Amino acid sequence: MLATGLTLYLLSKEIYVINHETISGAVVLSLAVYGIKKYGPAVAAFADRLMEEELARFESLKGAYIAGCEKGIEDEKKQQWRVEGRHYLFDAKRNNIAMILEANYRERLLTASREVKKKLDYQVALQQLKRSMERDHMINWVEQSVWQSVTAQQEKESIAKCILDLKALSKTAQASL
Amino acid sequence: MNENLFASFTTPMMMGVPIVVLIIIFPSILFPSPNRLINNRLATVQQWLIQLVSKYMLSIHNYKGQTWALMLMSLILFIGSTNLLGLLPHSFTPTTQLSMNLGMAIPLWAGTVVMGFRHKTKASLAHFLPQGTPLPLIPMLVIIETISLFIQPVALAVRLTANITAGHLLIHLIGGATLVLMNINPVTALITFIILILLTILELAVALIQAYVFTLLVSLYLHDNT
Repeated sequence: MLATGLTLYLLSKEIYVINHETISGAVVLSLAVYGIKKYGPAVAAFADRLMEEELARFESLKGAYIAGCEKGIEDEKKQQWRVEGRHYLFDAKRNNIAMILEANYRERLLTASREVKKKLDYQVALQQLKRSMERDHMINWVEQSVWQSVTAQQEKESIAKCILDLKALSKTAQASL
Repeated sequence: MNENLFASFTTPMMMGVPIVVLIIIFPSILFPSPNRLINNRLATVQQWLIQLVSKYMLSIHNYKGQTWALMLMSLILFIGSTNLLGLLPHSFTPTTQLSMNLGMAIPLWAGTVVMGFRHKTKASLAHFLPQGTPLPLIPMLVIIETISLFIQPVALAVRLTANITAGHLLIHLIGGATLVLMNINPVTALITFIILILLTILELAVALIQAYVFTLLVSLYLHDNT
């Protein structure tokens, strides 16, 4: 309402003169309106798409950071759970080592006892040897002394006695038959 | 009629105060500086446009030439915006004044020449003689090449001034003719159609900026990077 009245007033009083610039202005205006009507939404959509892409880039960066932090939290929790279960590992290792030590100890015990036994056997064998040698020596000595003590006379007498005994025995044997 | 035709090219004064400075500064308001990460539509489109133009314009240069990026980009934006704003009615285009165009052309051209002479003296001097000229023609050719070198800034300025001024004059003339011929009806539609085409072609004033900066850029390239 105001625009129509104002325009008519300016034109009728020749405050706004119509000259060549009016015509050129009208042509420029019509070209501008035509261009904006035709290409306006396309340009606006393009600008919106640019902004969306930029925003999506930043959002994806932020999301990547957040995902990285969350993954770090998950890994940390898993580490904590692993730490709780660590004592199983330690027990197993401890048992393992204890078994190895036990086996080692037993082995060395066996070796030690074997060595001791060997030494004792040696001593026993030594003593036995000594005793047997003593016995043999004594027997030999006794035999030798007996042989030496038996004189020729005694030998003859013993032999004669033996013959007499044999004769008596033979007589009895014959008698029994 | 004559006085009215050229009246739009005089320096605008308002009650004796030269407001031409305001008119020159005005287009910078239309380019918003991006403040945020994600801006409004105008700033986004402007950002995208400047990135596109600078990518194509600076791909030719090496590192030394690319230090001129800010200068070249602001040049093309200024000339483009002032030329486009001059198409509106009752507006004043600063680039129609030869004084201003010379003020833009001469320092920039002189800068490239001095830079070329400082960094690559032998190559810059060698530009004065094209390859493979026969011996007797050498003095003549050196003179001609010197003249062509010194005419470069004048050509840059005058090219821009003449093109814009001629375009504006044509618009005014044909607009005036249409006004007068509106009382004689059948011819009016034809002339309005001609105005329309002329304006569309004149919007290739933006292409003139391209020519301006491109010429400057070629000159920079040749002086610096050969």
